[in-house]
Amino acid sequence: MSRLFAQLGFGGFALGVWETVYMTAVSTAVAYLAGLPLGILLCVTDRDGLKPIPWLNKIVGFAVNIFRSIPFIILIVALIPAARAVVGTSIGNGAMIFMLSVAAAPYVARMVESSLKEVDKGVVEAARSMGAGTFTIIRKTLLPEAKPSLIVGAVISTVTVLGYSAMAGTIAGGGLGAIAVTQARPSGAEDVIWLCVALTVVIVQILQELGMYLAKRTDRRIQRRRRGKTQKTAEENPHQS
Amino acid sequence: MIELKHITKEFSAKGGAFLALDDVSLTVRDGEIFGIIGLSGAGKSTLVRCVNLLERPTRGQVFLDGEELTAMREKRLREVRRNIGMIFQNFNLLEQRTAEANVRFPLEIAGVKREAARRRAEELLSLVGLGDKAKSYPSQLSGGQKQRVAIARALATQPKVLLCDEATSALDPSTTFSILDLLQKINRDMGVTIVVITHEMRVVERICDRVAVLDRGRIAEEGTVAEVFSLPRSEIAKKLVLPDLTRAARRADGRVWRLVFNGQNSDMPLIFSLASEKGVAVNILYADTREIGGGTFGHMLVGLAREENEPILTAFCRERGVECREEIV
Repeated sequence: MSRLFAQLGFGGFALGVWETVYMTAVSTAVAYLAGLPLGILLCVTDRDGLKPIPWLNKIVGFAVNIFRSIPFIILIVALIPAARAVVGTSIGNGAMIFMLSVAAAPYVARMVESSLKEVDKGVVEAARSMGAGTFTIIRKTLLPEAKPSLIVGAVISTVTVLGYSAMAGTIAGGGLGAIAVTQARPSGAEDVIWLCVALTVVIVQILQELGMYLAKRTDRRIQRRRRGKTQKTAEENPHQS
Repeated sequence: MIELKHITKEFSAKGGAFLALDDVSLTVRDGEIFGIIGLSGAGKSTLVRCVNLLERPTRGQVFLDGEELTAMREKRLREVRRNIGMIFQNFNLLEQRTAEANVRFPLEIAGVKREAARRRAEELLSLVGLGDKAKSYPSQLSGGQKQRVAIARALATQPKVLLCDEATSALDPSTTFSILDLLQKINRDMGVTIVVITHEMRVVERICDRVAVLDRGRIAEEGTVAEVFSLPRSEIAKKLVLPDLTRAARRADGRVWRLVFNGQNSDMPLIFSLASEKGVAVNILYADTREIGGGTFGHMLVGLAREENEPILTAFCRERGVECREEIV
């Protein structure tokens, strides 16, 4: 066991896990605050969307692409002044959450957009035929119908943010990534590095399983398979009416 | 009453505009079941979408009970759409909602209180014969059941008009007929005017009062189902109504005549009488009998052993009220 490992102890690793989870959760949540509306906008204003506004779609799409193409490590440097202005500091977990949110929001926007675009056009048409306006269709058709896919997207986004959060060490933030990169690597404490890796894997696995379980549970399209046998008989004998 | 006046719809496509509808004018009367039939690509779906302006015509006007839909603002149009229910080939149910919540959906949009909406939804589900399926999700229902839910949903806001876009095309024949019976019941009991878009003859035959035949964006023929189906005049209507007769006529060597029997004269032995009384030998190339709108209609394609007997044939038919005309292909 390395000296660092002993030094950190259970409390040190627990704090690392907590900081990672905390940064990831808050950043993803903030990213959705911005990314969800952006994603809806991208979907709705698309050429064959509900309310096509090509110029707006182009501008927003372009901005999203630009942010998505900047590597996170460079974005961190670029966002230092902005972090100072918004969070009051350019170092620590608070600044990291700000940067993670900015980096993740465009990603989330694309995730949301693709989920909403999966919704059957016919269902949207049916809603229009009933006299639903754009907002009603978004709120009562697009979002609820895309829910399972949105949950899957949220899991993927969260895991991505978790990966980015490992770079928190570069701006004096905390978490498992910071422990591994800024403390363990220079002192050669490989056992600490490997434990950090293992803990990260466990967090991701839990997230993934939980997310997929939720997505499946809320998806009414696959209920039939879960109910199994009773459904089968209804399927075989559908015209009793 | 629905009036379509000079409806033209162009789609911009690569390499110029595509004319989906070309100056279509139609009137659908209150309380009738009006069929629009045509081959795929004829413009049927575009035409029915022009009624509730899901598709906006490039030119032309749409009226519902004298009110011009094409001149309305978006907000007013959305209100009017509640008077026009619509069902679809693929049902288009919300997959994440139960049958009951699907039927409640248009009521939510219309701002009906939740409890009242629930009661109405249950009422409608039992009307369509699915009272016990309120809590089922679409994935748990068969095609016919899904269409019943869709019908209940389309009727929730008590529309005056129901548009059916290929509503039975994804269903097997027996389910098709049960859905058609339901539509007929709705038409009779609730007085809902129904517009049926289909490529299936049997659908029009079974429930429609009047029919328009659409061909490449134009109305080729229009009239009561009895008229159009007993004596189709346009090429396209003949092809749709009597595909085998058309084929038989094309195969024949000499001249051929089409005889049309209507409800009054379809049960007499015309061909036999012709031979026994007049000594004219008739060669039957094709014959078929159909029930349309309560009457029996027969079609026969005949040739003559000796073509100079034509005047005898036509006179004999005229006397007995059987339509006889030479079929030229």
